[in-house]
Amino acid sequence: MSASQSAVRSRAEAVKVSRTFDWLICFTLFFVILGGYHVHFMLVAGDWDFWSDWKDRRLWVTVLPIMGITFPAAVQAVLWWRYRIAFGATLCVLGLLFGEWVNRYFNFWGWTYFPINFVFPSQLIPGAIVLDVVLLLSNSMQLTAVVGGLGFGLLFYPGNWPMMAPLHLPVEYNGMMMTLADLSGYHYVRTGMPEYIRMVEKGTLRTFGKDVAPVSAFFSGFVSIIVYFVWHFFGRWFGNTAFTKGS
Amino acid sequence: MAATTESVKADAAEAPLLNKRNLIFAVALYCVFYAWVRWYEGVYGWSAGMDSFAPEFETYWMNFLYIEFVLEVSTAGILWGYLWKTRDRKVMSITPREELRRHFTHWTWLVCYGVAIYFGASYFTEQDGTWHQTIVRDTDFTPSHVIEFYLSYPVYIITGGAAFLYAKTRLPTYQQGNSIQYMVATVGPFMILPNVGLNEWGHTFWFMEELFVAPLHYGFVFFGWSALGVLGVLNIEVAALAKLLKKDLA
Repeated sequence: MSASQSAVRSRAEAVKVSRTFDWLICFTLFFVILGGYHVHFMLVAGDWDFWSDWKDRRLWVTVLPIMGITFPAAVQAVLWWRYRIAFGATLCVLGLLFGEWVNRYFNFWGWTYFPINFVFPSQLIPGAIVLDVVLLLSNSMQLTAVVGGLGFGLLFYPGNWPMMAPLHLPVEYNGMMMTLADLSGYHYVRTGMPEYIRMVEKGTLRTFGKDVAPVSAFFSGFVSIIVYFVWHFFGRWFGNTAFTKGS
Repeated sequence: MAATTESVKADAAEAPLLNKRNLIFAVALYCVFYAWVRWYEGVYGWSAGMDSFAPEFETYWMNFLYIEFVLEVSTAGILWGYLWKTRDRKVMSITPREELRRHFTHWTWLVCYGVAIYFGASYFTEQDGTWHQTIVRDTDFTPSHVIEFYLSYPVYIITGGAAFLYAKTRLPTYQQGNSIQYMVATVGPFMILPNVGLNEWGHTFWFMEELFVAPLHYGFVFFGWSALGVLGVLNIEVAALAKLLKKDLA
């Protein structure tokens, strides 16, 4: 190819071509990252995310932010550090929520007939916005990991509280005390996922009474910091442009 | 040599840089096809997919499986074979405008890969969760698996392979060797399909229930991470496009 030749015929065409590529890139990135993030998230945190009777004060609060901060950290490592695009975390989380909502509506409700208020996905947007804003304001990976990562863990429970609060109300049913979410679970039997494999309210955190959720959130924030660091470097590796040697 | 593409055809300069009709048609094709598949699941999942020993299961699900196997192998063979057979043997001597046009076509393939990955890794994989947590399985070839593992995964593998082959055979950017991240982004998700072997072995051997966070499923997770290889492809493409457009945008 000749260096003197131009690929476009005018500056206007160059701008138009550049904008068109932006749209193609955005569309592709959104859906490919959505696919990878969703398959990761559903298989390491999914059960707590699928069903409202799994959304407890301990493992749901602990596991989801830790597993959720992975892809946002990796994508930020490329979108911010190479292109100064400051919405990497939010892009990931919006993609994940898009995939989840479509699924919960068309499949959890549309194919297996669970009510939406039993299968809605968890909310991760507040934490993602904090991650992006801290990175934008600080331009520091360390600060984003420590402040943003901690915020990602701490904000998860309060961010979900408006949706979950009514389902955590106590109810007495046949002489037993349970939550409304538990009651929904008993009525909508999942034959392939029996009660003995449900990991809800396990452990002795309840010893501290009212502090169960805050302690879980704090622990989650701590691990999220570490996971952010690790996945930032994963993201850098995935963004490399190396080639194998040609013949 | 007769079957290979000549570098610069006389009318190539007149063709649009981005063939929008092809782009829209391709995306619509995936969406309409999968809408039909989802309709089929809805109708025949409950009515014929509950008991793998029933005659109607053989009719509606096993025959579906056999047909898709044949179509997938044929499609992969024809599409990948066509892309290789018609490769450009003078790829390093194409004009910048032709190179730009081919980048657009390459991104049409990547958009298709995005759509195919979405349906495979997101839509039909999480759908598998609700089906198997609701229905007790009595076969590896359940209605959900016939679609998820043996249809939606091969479809994105075929699409990803085609995108990679297109780049490798028609774009100067990819002639210096094989892009490691492009291979990660296509071979990694491909490996999810062989990992089905582990999944089925595990579910048959010791775990008939469905717990999505079970360690048995972590192979899918590991290979799912490789979708992030698209970030490396993005960086390669942006550098190549910047080289083509930089002086005109300055």
